[in-house]
Amino acid sequence: MKVREIMTKDLTAVEKNIPVRELIFILNNAEMPNVPVVDEDGLLTGFISEKDLIRAALPGYFEMLHSTSFIPDMNQLAKKLAQIADEPIERFIRTTVMSVTEDDDDLQAADLIIRKNIKNVPVVDKDGRLVGRVRRIDLLRHFL
Amino acid sequence: MIVTMTLNPAVDKMYWVEALKVCDVTQEEFLTRATRSTTSAGGKGVNTSVFLSRLGMESVAMGFVGGYTGHVVVRDLRDEGVTTNFVWTHGETRVNVTLLQQGREHSPNLINESGQTILPEEMDRLMRRYRRMLNRATWVVLGGSLPPGVDPGIYGELAQMAKDAGAKVILSTGGEALTRALKACPYIVKPDTREHMTLEGKELTSVDAIVEAGKHVIACGAEIVIISHDVTGDIAITRDDVWEIKSSTPTSKFRNLVGADDAFLGGILYKLVQGEPVSEALKFGLAAGLASAESEEKICRSLAVIEEEMRDVTLVKL
Repeated sequence: MKVREIMTKDLTAVEKNIPVRELIFILNNAEMPNVPVVDEDGLLTGFISEKDLIRAALPGYFEMLHSTSFIPDMNQLAKKLAQIADEPIERFIRTTVMSVTEDDDDLQAADLIIRKNIKNVPVVDKDGRLVGRVRRIDLLRHFL
Repeated sequence: MIVTMTLNPAVDKMYWVEALKVCDVTQEEFLTRATRSTTSAGGKGVNTSVFLSRLGMESVAMGFVGGYTGHVVVRDLRDEGVTTNFVWTHGETRVNVTLLQQGREHSPNLINESGQTILPEEMDRLMRRYRRMLNRATWVVLGGSLPPGVDPGIYGELAQMAKDAGAKVILSTGGEALTRALKACPYIVKPDTREHMTLEGKELTSVDAIVEAGKHVIACGAEIVIISHDVTGDIAITRDDVWEIKSSTPTSKFRNLVGADDAFLGGILYKLVQGEPVSEALKFGLAAGLASAESEEKICRSLAVIEEEMRDVTLVKL
């Protein structure tokens, strides 16, 4: 089966200059865990997720901790998030983007999603323009 | 690529009832049980996208959605195979209710909400996305009412942007939004005459008045103007001709008129994209609209039924 047959045909995407606040609004309302970043021609240039924002709002040493018991409460996160809320998302974007094309086999999308442990993978056309995404659930519902 | 823009989409909730009675003031309440109901994504551009998708033609549906009902719209469109590109808003997408009474399906009762208020920043987001989509668009369908908070000049702005990007524009709206958009010279203009039987302030009460008003819009730069004449017939005005498109189908065959006008526009677009002449596109469009009106489903899904319907459609030069 080709990617075009299983993908979710949705072009929800953001540009790198939108503020963090707007990104959180979009992720929340569109109920998406992450969103592709595109340029003004619709070309896929990056990717940003809830995880990237949480990482940006937490202190650098957080990931080195084995336990969160050293952190007294969520105040630090809230404070940092308020500081970056009006900053453009550009510096938090991942610019190394994994993607598949509409004509790729479904196996290629499945391989990326499973091996890279990502929730969805963007789909682009032959020119690199965003045309949709393959979600984990797209794989599951098409093979049931 | 075809882009449809629905600034004020809706969840279309339809109820079929055996008899519709209104609660009397002396009664505490009055229950009418629906014998059937459906829920689907609605709005002019949305319906056109669904029609095209059912005939195997790709399009991208754009506009504003919000809240739980916004998810209903997006989900339904995806299930229909339409590509979605909506801007999420703070508000809630409206719900439009249609009551279809058994034996009187040809004259349904409609209750339409006015829609969510759009904030300036939400409009900015839509414009950014629209600009991006215009890089790939060949046709743009602009249709339907405007939600609160949106300037009536918006369709004119969207039409001009599409024209500047090299796309042809189909416009179907009414009132001030229509009048102001005509300055951008859309390729096809179909006034929504459900609320205002007027075009540029002129009453469209006779064939002569329709032709005169249509010719004025053509003189301003549009290529085709289509104006509803009666339920089973329209008048189309082009630079060279004036046609009456008519069907002999009796209105008693109508089962659901909601969306029929959008299938009409979708049918015209479907044929024009394939390079068919305007005359053929008009006939196919009316057949598509009638096939939709004759099906209980909002939008017809069978090409064979539309082609069958075309046998009853005539195109007469006036």
